[in-house]
Amino acid sequence: MALILPPLAPAADEPVGDAPRVDRRVYLAERVVGAAIGAVFALPAGFVLWRTFRLHASLSDALDQIPAPLWRTVQLAVLVSVSAAVIGTALAWLTVRTDLPMRRVWRVVLVLPLVLPSFVGAAAFITGLAPGGIIHDALGAVGVAPPRRFRGLGASWLVLTAFTYPYVLLPVSARLVTVRSSMEESARLLGMTATQAFLRVTVPQLRPAILGGSLLVFLYTLSEFGAVQLLGYDTLTRVIYATRQVDRSLSFSAASVLLVFAVVVVAFERRMRGPARPDPGAARRSGTPVALGWVAIPATLACLAVAAVGLLVPIASLATWARRGLADGRVGLGDYLDPAISTAGVAIMAAVVAVVVVAPIAVTTTRRPNVASSVAAGAVVGGFAIPGLVIALALAVLALNTPTLGSLYQTMALLIIAYVIHFGSQALASTEQAVRAVPTKLRESSRLLDDSSIRRFFRIDLPLMRPGLLAGGGLVMLATLKELPATLLLAPIGFSTLATEIWASFEEGFYAATGLASLVLIALSALLTWLLVLRHSEVTGR
Amino acid sequence: MSRTLPARAACAGLLALVLAACGSDGDEPAATGDPVTAATAEPAASGATSVTIYSGRNEELIQPILDSFSEATGIEVRAKYGDSADLALLIDEEAAAGRVEADVFLSQSPGSIGFLDDLGRLAPLPADVLELVPEAVRDDDGRWVGFSGRQRVLVYNPELVAADELPDSVFGLTDERWRGQIGVAPSNGSFQDFVTSMRATEGDDDTKRFLEALAANDPVSYPKNSAIVAAVARGEVAVGLVNHYYNYRALEEDPSIPSLNHQFAPDDPGSILIVTGAAIVEGTDRADVAAQLIAFLLGPEGQQYFATETFEYPLAAGRQPAPQIPPIDFADVGGIDFDQLGGGLGSTREMIADAGLEG
Repeated sequence: MALILPPLAPAADEPVGDAPRVDRRVYLAERVVGAAIGAVFALPAGFVLWRTFRLHASLSDALDQIPAPLWRTVQLAVLVSVSAAVIGTALAWLTVRTDLPMRRVWRVVLVLPLVLPSFVGAAAFITGLAPGGIIHDALGAVGVAPPRRFRGLGASWLVLTAFTYPYVLLPVSARLVTVRSSMEESARLLGMTATQAFLRVTVPQLRPAILGGSLLVFLYTLSEFGAVQLLGYDTLTRVIYATRQVDRSLSFSAASVLLVFAVVVVAFERRMRGPARPDPGAARRSGTPVALGWVAIPATLACLAVAAVGLLVPIASLATWARRGLADGRVGLGDYLDPAISTAGVAIMAAVVAVVVVAPIAVTTTRRPNVASSVAAGAVVGGFAIPGLVIALALAVLALNTPTLGSLYQTMALLIIAYVIHFGSQALASTEQAVRAVPTKLRESSRLLDDSSIRRFFRIDLPLMRPGLLAGGGLVMLATLKELPATLLLAPIGFSTLATEIWASFEEGFYAATGLASLVLIALSALLTWLLVLRHSEVTGR
Repeated sequence: MSRTLPARAACAGLLALVLAACGSDGDEPAATGDPVTAATAEPAASGATSVTIYSGRNEELIQPILDSFSEATGIEVRAKYGDSADLALLIDEEAAAGRVEADVFLSQSPGSIGFLDDLGRLAPLPADVLELVPEAVRDDDGRWVGFSGRQRVLVYNPELVAADELPDSVFGLTDERWRGQIGVAPSNGSFQDFVTSMRATEGDDDTKRFLEALAANDPVSYPKNSAIVAAVARGEVAVGLVNHYYNYRALEEDPSIPSLNHQFAPDDPGSILIVTGAAIVEGTDRADVAAQLIAFLLGPEGQQYFATETFEYPLAAGRQPAPQIPPIDFADVGGIDFDQLGGGLGSTREMIADAGLEG
């Protein structure tokens, strides 16, 4: 990961955070911890490069077979991340800053499209467009001839956008809760419309959150395999998968190319985002919500449209499948109780571990940025671009060949490590937001009033950081709930999750079981998101 | 779980024991299906009370028969499910690190078995297990055995195409009539197995010409067989190259779908039989229970399950497929030279890619 460029150093004349008060030992400790965490996250990348080198990959094969799929991957990733950024940001503002009717409900509903494994989402879309499907009938009702085939770049773009925009929505919402609304209000007093004030005043403050979220969408699209396969769009991941057994050197070359590309993108994003700095001024609750007036109607329609595409269409298709199986007793809800419980368990564990592990990096990159911390952050983010299968293989090889780690093989511990490496990036962006949400001045003044740093952390920092930490943990949780390739490869024997159940039934066309298990997954994700994340997301500091 | 070297060394001896125990009925295995019952009567020679399988075959299509095995023998079956290719890679990595985690490998595709065989990761199977099936569906070197078969067929939508229009040979699909109407799964193992088989019977030049002509006929790519059947059923394409049982599976889910199977002529390269294979992993110290499990899959109960529950062709001599499945004669169906598969699969994939079928 040495290719990562350090982010722009903060201007020298501008002290960042509380730099003067921290002594040398803390600096050193931060660097060592950051480097160690980064090294763990960089393991799969190191494995890919090492294997590519060891297998004597043929450059001409790679040049022959990689550029075209890579180009298609790039096109798709750019399109999806731009549209997800626009939709995610707009919805975040509507549900956090305005008096949109039923905004609390929307806050849960609009996050949910994230919970579907994307291959299920794609299959549900294809079914929805088939005769008898919900989209087919809806289009027919308004006199539009449904397309005979739903595939290619356009289809992949629509499906992936519909299922990934929450990656932007969640961190931007978390940021909006803590960012000052007074400036936006002043701008409106000076005659700007709500939209103008949002675009010119608020969006710049949201930039890191939007960029961070869009980057996640971008990397997700890079490593996506199941959905684009079903939608007949040929990407670089197809090369990695199709050749993993018959031409391992080509497979690893393709993975290396994906990796290097991801590193470049991550480095670029961190430069664009600029130095991450804590809020200079005190900021807590949002002010009065923006009154939408008649705009509430189109705004509600927009929310409905997004929910229809990302949630209603898949649920309708899944319900059609499930109903057939429930009717003749082939499947029952009871079948999914155990997998649901174990799925929830690992997902929560992975979320907590991920937030705790990336927190030191987030604190350093935000308050006292240095090269070590930004390389570590790059390694964390890059983990999301590596297909889960490759991460799983890397950890398996590592555990199998390291005497001290041998006993970890096929244990929950190794599986959780895989989840954290794969999804740590999702915790990082939001955790950085969380750290940024604690204003420097507040921290300085609190230091004068209370000597105990632990007490200060729990009374001052944590309440302010809570929305960001929960958003980060929530994203990791949702991603883990539906993770498939690493779970299949690394899970202890006999351990199954809802995602593995969905996969098992879907592979062989047991659609009734696929439908029911997917609906259980959606319900479980909604419940957990509400119970553990959204219910606690208001800033509670005093 | 890691096993010691002495245990490995003992493995050869144990195999001999299993052979001795079951060898007597080796000549007429299908008539009695006895290896299972014989082994059931006595505890396993290795003293193993459990057996670990890595199964590329789907849980939905095998777990019930594994449960029956446990019930009949008292041996616990620990199963890890996944894609055949991924599990084969994992077995290879485990072996490279000197560990044996899996005792049995069940592969959905002959390619993954060939991959492990080439790398020397498979142990020889006892002769009495091998002899349960005809020679055509087992390894010449005795390292794997087929336990169920799928025939390659053309699934079609009768609302879009009449049965008498369908070609007798897969080569007929290169006709202009089928332009843009054919569903294929070029990255799927079964399509690759079909192409490998065609290379063996028709030669590389003819296979290459066929693939290029097929690609030029504007086929639609899908990731797997079940997706093709679904696409044909909803009329997205008129016909598709698939394994026979997916359409029966789809009908089971939704009896209202119109799609039907069409068989090519028995000796056509398009109508080969693809077997799902079982093998014992090299180095395991539970080869006896592993062989016992494989014998059970080939016994009456196992074969009956594959015939009636998963709509496949049972491979043990004398077993019949389900009533709705047209019977086939293994001797007439073009067979893949499976021993060539492992090494040949890489060039098969290249050939498919070069023809422009992928992507």
